[in-house]
Amino acid sequence: MRMTGPLERVLGAFLADPAAPRYGYDLMKAARLPSGTLYPLLARLEHQKLVASAWETPQQEGQRPRKYYQLTGEGIRIARLELAQASARRPRASARAGRPAPGSLG
Amino acid sequence: MRGERQLLRLGEYLVRRACRQLPPDVREERYREWTAELPAILHDPQVRFAPWRAVRMLGYAADTLRGTAMTPGTAQGRISRLRATVDVPLQVACLVVVAVSVWAVVQAPGDALNYLRLVWGLLFVASVIRNRVRPAGRMTALLGTSAILAAWAVLLGGAALAPGNWVNYVLAALVLVPLVAYLPFAWWHRRRQARTGGHNAADR
Repeated sequence: MRMTGPLERVLGAFLADPAAPRYGYDLMKAARLPSGTLYPLLARLEHQKLVASAWETPQQEGQRPRKYYQLTGEGIRIARLELAQASARRPRASARAGRPAPGSLG
Repeated sequence: MRGERQLLRLGEYLVRRACRQLPPDVREERYREWTAELPAILHDPQVRFAPWRAVRMLGYAADTLRGTAMTPGTAQGRISRLRATVDVPLQVACLVVVAVSVWAVVQAPGDALNYLRLVWGLLFVASVIRNRVRPAGRMTALLGTSAILAAWAVLLGGAALAPGNWVNYVLAALVLVPLVAYLPFAWWHRRRQARTGGHNAADR
């Protein structure tokens, strides 16, 4: 899995409460992603069997059912691993960026 | 909210257009899923200001259209990315053509060829804009064909004024190449749309 910023945010939103099923708009708000970025990501995760989806049962007459997404067991494991690796890479990258170039002042 | 039904209908229209670009086997499901979010966004209790909720709902619908158009793997996605690459130079070229044509008309108002150049420039601009809005429409094909024929007329006019200059003849022949290539593509594209469309809610 190639970790990108949007994917990291989606996985982070899922992992905030892995047991809770989330619908698209909810994930959009949590991950701060537009729908055109979020849904292709969800489709990819679902295709890789890291996310499972299910339709809700409408509570009221005439209400359109929404589709809920949830990380699978494998999805939770991989998401935690990938996010841990991403955060481990980040301090190294920021330390490299902060280190002065050889021969420069400071 | 006032005008809620019209707003929802507009949102549904955008989602339907987005779904048309998806493979037929997932189209109906995606349409149901995305349109189910529209009323939820429009009644989002976390957003107090009603016009802002409407903007968010339409933004959601419009962005699904952008997302499906740019999705890798679909023919539409490949075409959209290619179009996004050539769009900016094409738009700059359009503006240059129109500006030069207007300048030429001002310089020599009696020259009929300058007016023809201006018509060509305007048709070029109109076809590029129309192609961005509705690539598969009949009007798009008509404007594109008219722009190419106008360019052809301009070059033949130039050839009539300077019969010894072979460059005009070569350019006139080259201008016809995109038309000859475009017409079968447009025919195939319309047939494909007619074949895949009209089977479910997402296609209506």
